[in-house]
Amino acid sequence: MSNNKILCNTGTVDLSIQDISKEVDKLINDEETKLKLTPENADSGLAKLVLTLVELIRKLIEKQAMRRVDGGSLSEDEIERLGETLMKLEMKMEELKKYFNLTDRDLNINLGPLGDLM
Amino acid sequence: MDKLIYCLLLAKSNHTKPETILNSLKGVMEASLLAVEYHNISAIISDVTEKQFVANKQHAVEFALVIDKLAQKYTLLPMRFGSMMDSTGSVMDMLERNEVEIEAGLKKVKNKWEYGLKVLCDREKLKEELIAKQDNDSLNLVKPEIDPNKSVYKTYVLKKLSEHRAEEQILSFVDSILVEIKTYLRKLKAVDKCKKMTNETTIIDAVFLLDKKKKKEVINLVKDLQQKYPQLNFLLTGPWPPYNFVEINIK
Repeated sequence: MSNNKILCNTGTVDLSIQDISKEVDKLINDEETKLKLTPENADSGLAKLVLTLVELIRKLIEKQAMRRVDGGSLSEDEIERLGETLMKLEMKMEELKKYFNLTDRDLNINLGPLGDLM
Repeated sequence: MDKLIYCLLLAKSNHTKPETILNSLKGVMEASLLAVEYHNISAIISDVTEKQFVANKQHAVEFALVIDKLAQKYTLLPMRFGSMMDSTGSVMDMLERNEVEIEAGLKKVKNKWEYGLKVLCDREKLKEELIAKQDNDSLNLVKPEIDPNKSVYKTYVLKKLSEHRAEEQILSFVDSILVEIKTYLRKLKAVDKCKKMTNETTIIDAVFLLDKKKKKEVINLVKDLQQKYPQLNFLLTGPWPPYNFVEINIK
């Protein structure tokens, strides 16, 4: 299990066995995607979990809304109200992230073999 | 003393008895390896105490090395890292209870290797390229009924719509490559499992089980794909033991 397991890597993206090893280390020790709940940080730990779920739902709503806009089934007035709602939701999320000192990367969960949540 | 189980193998898939090879190998934490035999199948085990055993990178590599070495000689099914039983007797009972399923599983992977294929790219760059490639009609993101000058909310929707369309473009681009890969693999009679968009850089993450003699064909496939899609990075790894093709629920 060394470099000889890489049969073909001839792209523009530079990727060596060291990079893969780093990726593995990141998966094992990825502190950023771990939920760290201790008595001292119960608030922010829980906030991270809750905001991750809220962000997931917000993105799903946004995706569905864009499908409807793209499909042309919404009136001008509905698009106006949709835009207002989505914009306010995004602004509120930004506020909450700032309040709890979280970044976009914090609001994601690595699901192992399934990949990232978002 | 607990028994750490590395793999289940078909002892008769090689003329050499497993013990001969096991003598030259060391398991996790330098432990000696042993074969527990039941009819045609054997479980490769080593002694370990639950207290000693830590699921860390070093032990995972030691565990995988044993499987990798044995896979060069035998048809085998790797066990999940950290699979343990309390005694040799329990391992023997497990083999007896699951003999039919294990043999069927071994038959499926006989004379086959697993390969991994990752397709990586700079997603943001790809998004830009795809948008640029579109013709003028599809580039015109402004729907007649939406006037972007009317309000900030409509402008916002347009921005989101543009992003949404670019994402859809990427998805359909990835789907087309996936179809291409799967069609070729089907020609090679490979069994595949594919996932797409697993993270920011990996757009396709595939594993497939392929006849041991067809290694060259799969390398050529990847080289062809690389020529066709120079903006993507194809990473082919293997041959691996059939880690992703063990479909037995041990009773």
